[in-house]
This record gives sequence, C-alpha cells and structure tokens, in this order.
Amino acid sequence: MTHTAEEFEALIQFLYLAPVGLVQIAPDGQIILINPISAQLLMPLSRDGGLENLFTALEGVAPDLAHRAGAFAPDYGMVCEEMKIQIKAGVPGKSGAQVLSLSLLKLDRQRMMAVLRDVTQEIQRDLLLRQNEAWLNAILTGITDYAIARLDRDGRVDDWNESIGHLTGLDRDAVVGQPYSIFYPDDAITPERTADRLREAEASGWSMDECWRTRADGSRFWGSAIIAPLRHRTEPAGPVPLDDGAQGGPAFCLVIRDITEKRDASEKFRQAATCDHLTGIANRRAFFEAAELELERWRRAPRPLALILFDADNFKRINDTHGHPVGDAVLRHLATTLAGTFRQVDVVARVGGEEFAVLLPSTDLPSALAVAERVRRKIAATCVEVNGERIAYTVSGGVALMDAGMAGLDDLLKRADAALYGAKAAGRNCIESALAA
Amino acid sequence: METTQEPAFDAAALAETLGALDDAHLDALPFGVIGFDAQGVVRRYNATESNYAGLAIDRVIGQPVFTVVAPCMNNFMVAQRFEDAAEQNQPLDATIDYVLTLRMKPVKVKLRLLAVPGAPLRHVIVNRRP
Repeated sequence: MTHTAEEFEALIQFLYLAPVGLVQIAPDGQIILINPISAQLLMPLSRDGGLENLFTALEGVAPDLAHRAGAFAPDYGMVCEEMKIQIKAGVPGKSGAQVLSLSLLKLDRQRMMAVLRDVTQEIQRDLLLRQNEAWLNAILTGITDYAIARLDRDGRVDDWNESIGHLTGLDRDAVVGQPYSIFYPDDAITPERTADRLREAEASGWSMDECWRTRADGSRFWGSAIIAPLRHRTEPAGPVPLDDGAQGGPAFCLVIRDITEKRDASEKFRQAATCDHLTGIANRRAFFEAAELELERWRRAPRPLALILFDADNFKRINDTHGHPVGDAVLRHLATTLAGTFRQVDVVARVGGEEFAVLLPSTDLPSALAVAERVRRKIAATCVEVNGERIAYTVSGGVALMDAGMAGLDDLLKRADAALYGAKAAGRNCIESALAA
Repeated sequence: METTQEPAFDAAALAETLGALDDAHLDALPFGVIGFDAQGVVRRYNATESNYAGLAIDRVIGQPVFTVVAPCMNNFMVAQRFEDAAEQNQPLDATIDYVLTLRMKPVKVKLRLLAVPGAPLRHVIVNRRP
C-alpha cells in the first residue's frame, strides 16, 4: 500500500510542477480541480480573493467565455483553442504587458478542461513575424491590381499615374497636389495619422496598413497601402540642412493594392482572434494592441488622444429580471450602436462584461464628450426588442484625455474608469470626464 | 526543553518565534509554515503544511520554493513582495487572502508573508479560511 501512497504523492507533485495551468471545471465554470500554475496566473485577476469559478475569475478580461462555453453544442470538442487574453497593457520601460493563452476542451456534458499559459513573450515574437509577413504580402503577392503614387515630403501626391485612376476611379485633378489621405475614407484617417505614417516610413524604411477604401463610384475594396521613402539618408547622423527637400519633389512612394480576395479568405480566422464572440466588435486583446500602437505614435508626436469607457447601467438587474438572452441582446445592441457612431479610425471594443472602450485619435475632450453624449442619448431613446419584449436601458460613460503625466495605457484606462465611476455615482445615464491630474 | 507557548497565526514577531521553535513544535502548529533562505530554497516545512499539500517533508526541503514547492505563489502578489522587501532591505509582514491548489483543489487560505532584514529565513504562513 505504501507503494500506492508514494505513487500518489509523485502524481500530486507531477501536477504541482506542470509548467502549464490545468483546470477542470463544471459547465457553469465552477472549478473542480486546479493546479498551482493556474492559481499563479489567475489569482491576480480574482476580484474577491477566491477562485471558485473560472468564468468569474476571467470575467474582467475574457467576458465572453461563459457565452462561448454555453453556445458550444457538441458533447465533446474544443470550445476555444489558444484564445489570447490580454491581462494588462504594461508600462513601457517598467512593467511588461501580459497575455494569457486559454484553451477550453469540453470533455463531456459535465466537465471541461482548461489549459492556461502565459504567452507574453511568444506574442511579442509573433507580432514581429506578422509585421514581416504583412510586408511580404504587400510587396510579393500578385501585383495586378495596384496604384502607385509619388508623394512629396508632406505626403501630397506629386505626380499623376494611370494606375491610380485604374484602381480608384479618381481622375488627375482630384488627386494631384492632394494629401495621400484622399485614398482613405474620411473617417479612417486623421491629418496626424497621415503624418505619423510618413514619419514611420522615414524611420523604419516603410509603413503599411490595411483598411476599407472607397472607389470614386462608391464601391469599396480592402486595400493594403505601403509607403516607402524614395531617398534613404546615407549621410552620417547630424543636423539635417533646413532646405532639405524644401523645393518639393518626390520624397515617398505609395503603393496601394486591392487585396479584397485575400482578406475574405483570412477574415474568418482574423475575426476569431480579434473579435468578441458575443458582439462581433473588437475584443480586449485587439483593443490593447491597437491602443498601444496609437500611444506609441502619441509619444512621438503628442496630439489630443481621448478614451471613452461605456458601461451599461444596472446590467446585472437586466440579466436578473429578464434573463441572460436579453442581457446578451442589450450588449449586442450597445456594441452595434457604438460601431455605428464612431469613425473607422476609432477603436471600439468590448473590454469587460458590460464595459466597452473607445479610443479616439486626434480628438480633444469637448469632441469626445460630445460624441459620448450622442451615444448616451441614442441609447436612452431606443428600446431593444427581444422575443416581443421591449427593453429600455441606459449607459454611463467616462471620458479621459491622454497627457504627458501618464505612464501609459493602464493610467489612461484608470482615469477614464474613475470618470465612469463618477458618472455612476451621479445617478447613471450620464457622461463624466476626468480632470487632468 | 521547557514548554513553549504555541504562537498564533497573527502573533506579533511571529518570524522570531518560529526561528526559536524546534521541528517537533513547528510540526504541532495548527497552521502551515514554509521557511526559505535568501536563495529561495526551502529549509523548514512543517507537518501541517505537508499534510495540506500532500507532499512529504523530505520531498520539499532543499527545493526552490517558488518554482518547485509553491509555484502558485510565483507572482507579484507573493514572490514579488519578498523580492521587493529584500531589494529595499525592508521588513515584510503582510497578510493576504489567497487560494492554494492543495491536492489540486482550490482552497481559500490566509497567507502571512514574513521577512526580516538580516534574518536567515523568510516565511510563508498558511492558514485555511473558513
């Protein structure tokens, strides 16, 4: 018998030492068995000092998990595989961002097994790889449908090229002398972002992005654009002569390609990784990734940068009174309203259970407050219809502006959160802004 | 040896008291005790903790505490606090609510983290919460 006891102890230690988190849960998320690495990763997320339910523990960072698990019909199979969960943004130079990977396997109707890993470092490597891949896509794949334009040092189109007309349907007069932002829909780029891309191209040799673009006839295509400087500075570091390029002349080359087909093929995969399962808008991780990039740009060239946090008022009561399907419908309605109100250049995401974040580049406090107020009014004036029931609900919002005193995204979020708290305390259904520290 | 008054989980100067206890008395305490040195190697581990965790004392003594013995505490809530205290040469005496995965079951505990600058051992004291 001692033999068995020893074997048992070895087995226990084997599980203690497993370098990945393993959790066995009931269908409602209740934790049945859990190993130490799981506690190491999950305890910092626990809001009540306990670890009774996996869905509750992860609610703040993966709010759609319970929904995913509930919506998974088969008796056996992967509910989600290597889902990336952004824990925090980190402070540049101080503490890093943290990303967890979660796989959830349904074993049978009574049990699921979760595997948790800290994949922060893998993610960083992966990001680099993806950038490289995007670059290769931009320059190597089937170059039949492209427009090429020369830009001056301020990003204005310098010269006409037939390929521009061919791809976009625009004519010479509409293009020459205009900033290259004319190749973007109005709400997909700001003057500051236009300058950012030139700076990035200058600094790293190229800058690329992908977004929906509109042709002159109103039809749209998914276009990848790459900007590269035409002359590479070979002079040794030192002061640049003031008149350098001031005469005009081409400074950058812009290539736009229609990659709609390629996008269609990868869209499903992309959505699974970056979209919230319930509402279809960006998830927490996509938000942090986009916001970090915007913050980097802000650091290089400060300009107003606003963040709004929205929270559905009394959401728990909606759930308790009308049931979860109605609560879900409310969240979907709120997400749709947000997505329909903000610009393409804004980042709209579900970042918590009933909490949504919107990052607004090149937007000052009064403008952010105005648009937040527009959302609030729109929500207060409409009802959600679910199974013949008409549900009215309201939202509160907190608005904050990035400033030099803040260390990073976490600080900005904290400040918007404080404003949101103020809005809740002021009676809900209102928007508050954070005062600069 | 004279009879020693059994110290309570929240007793003042608990670290010093524990240092003076022999193994038998340490084992008799109603709470778990893990004592580890500046390199993080476990030097003392009492029977209560061994029983909680399902690991024999000799499997644990001599092992690194935060990677092998209690990996669940290897985060900023526990391990980092010991590192910070050592770096700043400050004493540490903090009690936090935590969950240990004793025999792979989530168990609510109170952890008391104790470190005294210059002392040979640091301690994590484990008390089950109701």
